[in-house]
Amino acid sequence: MSTPHVLLGLLAAGARHGYELKRAHDERLPRARPLAFGQVYATLGRLQRDGLVVAAGQEREGGPDRTAYVLTDAGRAALDRWLAEVEAPMPYVSSTLFAKVAVALLVDDVAGARSYLAAQRQAHTVRLRELTAAKTAPSASLDDVVAADYAIAHLDADLRWLHTTLDRVADWHREVHS
Amino acid sequence: MTYLQARGVVRSYGPTPALRGVNLDVAEGEIVAVTGPSGCGKSTLLHCLAGILRPDAGEVLWRGERIDTWSEAARSRLRRSTFGVLFQFGQLVAELTAAENVALPLLLAGTGRREARTAALGWLDRLGVADLADTRPGEMSGGQQQRCATARALVTEPRVLFADEPTGALDTLTGEQVLTRLVRLVREQGTSIVLVTHEPRIAAYADREVVLRDGVVDHDGLGLDVPLAGGHR
Amino acid sequence: MRPSTLLRLAVAGTATDTVRVVLTALSAALAALAGLAALTVLAIPTPPPVDEGDVRWSDQYASQLLVEPGLRGGTAFALLLLTVPVLALAGQCARLGAPARDRRLAALRLAGATPGQVTRLAVGETGLAALLGTAGGTAIYFGVREAFDTPDGQGRLALPTDVLPAPGAFAAVLLGLPVVAGLATALMLRRVTVGPLGVVRKQRRERGPRPWAGVLIGLGLVAFAAIGPIDRWYATRDTQPPEWLTPALLTGGGLAALVGVVVGTGWISYVTGRLLRRWARRPATLLAAARLTADPWAGSRTFAALLAAVLLGAGAAGLRAYFEAAGDLERRGGGGLAGTDDFYLSTMDLVDLAVAVAMVVAAGGLVVALVEGVTARRRAYAALVATGVPAATIGRSIAWQALAPAVPAVALALTVGLLLARGLFGTPTSGGGTVEFCDAAEQLCNDPATRAQYTRVEVEPLVSRTPDVPLEHVAWLGAGALAAVLVTVAVGLLFLRPGTAVEELRAT
Repeated sequence: MSTPHVLLGLLAAGARHGYELKRAHDERLPRARPLAFGQVYATLGRLQRDGLVVAAGQEREGGPDRTAYVLTDAGRAALDRWLAEVEAPMPYVSSTLFAKVAVALLVDDVAGARSYLAAQRQAHTVRLRELTAAKTAPSASLDDVVAADYAIAHLDADLRWLHTTLDRVADWHREVHS
Repeated sequence: MTYLQARGVVRSYGPTPALRGVNLDVAEGEIVAVTGPSGCGKSTLLHCLAGILRPDAGEVLWRGERIDTWSEAARSRLRRSTFGVLFQFGQLVAELTAAENVALPLLLAGTGRREARTAALGWLDRLGVADLADTRPGEMSGGQQQRCATARALVTEPRVLFADEPTGALDTLTGEQVLTRLVRLVREQGTSIVLVTHEPRIAAYADREVVLRDGVVDHDGLGLDVPLAGGHR
Repeated sequence: MRPSTLLRLAVAGTATDTVRVVLTALSAALAALAGLAALTVLAIPTPPPVDEGDVRWSDQYASQLLVEPGLRGGTAFALLLLTVPVLALAGQCARLGAPARDRRLAALRLAGATPGQVTRLAVGETGLAALLGTAGGTAIYFGVREAFDTPDGQGRLALPTDVLPAPGAFAAVLLGLPVVAGLATALMLRRVTVGPLGVVRKQRRERGPRPWAGVLIGLGLVAFAAIGPIDRWYATRDTQPPEWLTPALLTGGGLAALVGVVVGTGWISYVTGRLLRRWARRPATLLAAARLTADPWAGSRTFAALLAAVLLGAGAAGLRAYFEAAGDLERRGGGGLAGTDDFYLSTMDLVDLAVAVAMVVAAGGLVVALVEGVTARRRAYAALVATGVPAATIGRSIAWQALAPAVPAVALALTVGLLLARGLFGTPTSGGGTVEFCDAAEQLCNDPATRAQYTRVEVEPLVSRTPDVPLEHVAWLGAGALAAVLVTVAVGLLFLRPGTAVEELRAT
């Protein structure tokens, strides 16, 4: 579920303590499985080791829950790279898609969020066309058609959600800025 | 030479603007999907392109000639020779048999009844409903009606086919069958299709997608004119 | 479009379309019969006058209506007027099944028919039906001629079966009726644009109908009333009025009054609707009020034929009153009418019969119209019933909608008819001439030289007898008309029950 990148995104707003990160994660991604504290600390450890986050300061001697973490420049670059990347539209893209969209809305300005959404939609559309052509080819067997139908159904669902989200973002943006 | 073009088409219904300056190009043999949310003007654009409606402003060009200035009679004649029309419903005449319905554009153009009937039967056969030739539309299922309507749209061997939600009233599988057959027949003839739909699955049958939003084309980062990966033509 | 295609497309239709064609043909047959009958009566030759100022009668017929030249003209005119309710019926029938036909024409336009082709189709259907009907009517005419060509005891014929209208007149009727029917259809289609996406009717004005009716009625009354004074004006100059003047005033005034009454019904319907809406409490009356204000002309189209018959009937009643007054005057002494008033009154009986026939025809048209209205709106009625409105309420609203404007409209038609008759025929008078009396002995009177001294001129007193207002007769007429309306409402309600079944709500 790209937990590392989600934490990077949550840190982009500012320094946070470990326990704050867990609460923020569950708040921002309410339908995802709640993050266990252990997972948070493990991930933070890995990020620190990779130089993407750095401990900002310590209140007192204590565990990671008392440590505030901060995004490094490298961390910010990694986050931006991940946000700009398009998810390959295979059937089970949904949960990652959702995480990416949620983080994009949190981190980026609306224009950035929209352009990511537009690019992802385009990738979905191209894949949908490919699958349709494969399905309607005279040489397609029943298995091919059934498998293509399955992929098409899920991609269709993704696309509808993307469309609706695009519209909501546009409306929200209009409301806030009018 | 340009094939079918819309330049700055504007069209309102009373005080409500449906199209606010749309540009569109359709090349020969191309299938273009026109999509967008409901109320964005897709059907109106189709009607203006096909010569069913006259735009309030702007131009519609067919092979370089402006057809939006033609008389109602001339534009009607287009519909029975060069353009074919396939709608969601309401196009078959309930009081005529399937064969007569399919032969209708030919009959209106002055073809003799025997000749027209032969052509009609041929197309009904190609769409797999030859046995329904002498039944009335009221006695057929939705899918069969749409196949007859498709036969009628193709009987004049048009250069451009205008389809407005052709599978909207059909279930998924039936719609897929109708559309697949249509696309296959059309590719054989090099006919272009302008396909209006709000469903991504149906738009996926096209080579290219144009998104309308609030009466204008939405170029806004939504990636238009992306050709099919791997090429299909 | 080849003719065979035109034919096939023109006859393509549902059962309703067949009914429409049959009714149109029937109306054309009736109109042809009436027209041919009128022309035959006009073709009866008048024997040349023997003395100056003498009018010869054609004695070979049994009925005075055919014998007297003056009455003959009136008979022919009345027969021609009979065509009015028949044509109104035909016009009403043309609206049968209009929604389905409009959809069919729109589908044809979508398939590539030009507007001209669609007009030709509609005109073709009506023209064909009218042609068939006219042929049928002509056949019936000849059949009746054969059947009734038996002289009675005194060698007189009941019907003018020994004359034929001029060939030109015949051709005019045979060809004219279908042509007129076709033209009327083309005219009606001008208000309607059949587009490929559906039929668009030209927008009616938002304001209610204007009271032009009053102006037209006034003009008609003035025209009729002017015939007498104009004749007298010409008489003072010792000349005859031009040939065309009196018939022109008669027909022009009559038409103006008729159109005025019909148009006035639209205004009456609208105003009735407004009043009902103001004062209505129950849902039935509110529904009726809304329909009346939304479409006041539906009422006037339907009533046109019936009102024409009522107008004629009232006019005939007025004429009968005139004859009765004149007969009364004659019995009192001198002047009045030539001949007994018996046959004038029996003539009026025949006229009343004609009016009754016209009313029956008109009632037929009303039934057609109401049934068509109910079936065309059955989807809306079915939805109302489905949401819980009792069918009885809808039935009452239909009754209100038909009767509320009918009462004032019939009253108006009766009044106008009576006024027309009064204006045309006036008051029978006698006397007013001068008579010379010689007061002396015979010798002196015969001698011109001395006569002048002894003669005196007396002016006969002018006696006139105002015709009674035939209230009883008129009341019967009005009651008959309203009964016709009630019957049509009852028949329409019969169609309401199946029309509001839940199945009507299905989309397919």
